[in-house]
Amino acid sequence: MLKVFKYTLIDLARNRFVLGYALLMLLVAQGLFVLEGDPTKALLSLVQVVMALVPLIALVFTVVYMYDTLEFTQLLAVQPIRRSAILGGQLLALAAALLLAQAIGLGLPLLVHSPTVAALVLSLSGSVLVLVFAALGALIALKQREKARGVGVALAIWFLFVLVYDALLMWGMFTLSDYPIEPFVVPLAGINPIDLARIMVMLQVDLAAMMGYSGAIYKNFFGSVGGTFAAALILALWVAVPVLFAFRVFRQKDL
Amino acid sequence: MAEARITYHGVGKRYGKLWALRKVECAFHAGEVVMLIGPNASGKTTLIKSLLGLVSPTEGHITVDGQVIGSDPAYRRSIGYMPQISQFPATLTIGQLLEMMADIRELRADEVEDSLVEELGLSAQLDKRLSTLSGGTKQKVSAVLALRSRPSILVMDEPTAGLDPVSSKRVLQRAAAVRDTGGTVLITSHLMEEVEALADRVAYLEDGNLKFLLPVQEILSSTGCTRLSEALPRMLERSTLEAV
Repeated sequence: MLKVFKYTLIDLARNRFVLGYALLMLLVAQGLFVLEGDPTKALLSLVQVVMALVPLIALVFTVVYMYDTLEFTQLLAVQPIRRSAILGGQLLALAAALLLAQAIGLGLPLLVHSPTVAALVLSLSGSVLVLVFAALGALIALKQREKARGVGVALAIWFLFVLVYDALLMWGMFTLSDYPIEPFVVPLAGINPIDLARIMVMLQVDLAAMMGYSGAIYKNFFGSVGGTFAAALILALWVAVPVLFAFRVFRQKDL
Repeated sequence: MAEARITYHGVGKRYGKLWALRKVECAFHAGEVVMLIGPNASGKTTLIKSLLGLVSPTEGHITVDGQVIGSDPAYRRSIGYMPQISQFPATLTIGQLLEMMADIRELRADEVEDSLVEELGLSAQLDKRLSTLSGGTKQKVSAVLALRSRPSILVMDEPTAGLDPVSSKRVLQRAAAVRDTGGTVLITSHLMEEVEALADRVAYLEDGNLKFLLPVQEILSSTGCTRLSEALPRMLERSTLEAV
């Protein structure tokens, strides 16, 4: 696995898309800190950018990369190594390349302009989102035979998590605000990894109060040690489950 | 007849409702070159891919040197494969790719056969990125990868497609050398004239069925032709008439 990881990472290190991602994040983060003037405001704007952009980039890049390297993956699969070593190496390299690009593009400006706990949580949340959506991207690419269809499914999933899910949740909360829905709000927010990551950052900048009723509920639960542990566990499951399914699909897949 | 190295035991492969291979029973021996031919979608590639472990048979099994191939990839150590389409990581150089494959196969320096790199004119291009190579040069790289580990089983899918005549000849000479040292070579090709001098037997597939697997001499003598490219159409015509 380490051999596949090593050479895939060498390939990815010179990939224009990965370099472009690092540069884009650097420009956006640096630009926000310079334009906003106030690091807290810049951080809040950056949260919105990270929560939308990172899942999109991780999903689409992973899907496209997996399709583009399919013939080479076939060539690797006829070598005397297990398929799990191939997929493991490729996934690790993809995650490492995206995380490295993000560390440069997002981590550096945060370290320079806002070396706070909130910035650290944003950086960590962004990293977890990379892992979650790279894992989902790999699963999509392995399940769908056609590249166009795979990219379409990836975009639909991104759209669902970033917009549709939140819209439905908000609509439900407003509609049912006269009822005791508190026990359902937290698990429902926890289902969406982007929401979960956003809540964890928002709690650090103490803006949960500004989020109104739902903010208070989130603060009650995720503000506790048990809540933080639960959030970490859910995010870990969001990485582990797609990865396990991807390995299972790849082991049985006709290449 | 030499020992059977690769044996297909009732191998069938179904994709959805379509059977790409139907109960194929055959054996390929040490020291022979077998040419796999057949129309498009006849099952040639599926036959090859099931040997390489890229495709799992729906029914039946394949043995290599008496061992049923399954999830253990060790048997592929003796196999060299040259695919029809060569696609490599874009930003790696030829040198890095060769190093990567040797590393993955855990080849020692004395196990690596590098003379083909020189013969195919790749020595001066080792630092070139794979994304900058022409289709023909990628095929040369692919041939080197297939032969570099001195395989005793060589599988080539349309090996001469995209290669210049000189390189084609050199690659086929290498395939002959694998046979001459006791190896087994399977080649699919649409360019019969190029491969017929090399082939010892011909396997003909149609609609996933192995129609025949015969020595070249037998095909030539039964049709009265001197060239395989003339004999095969005549033989197929005859078998069609017999079926009618």
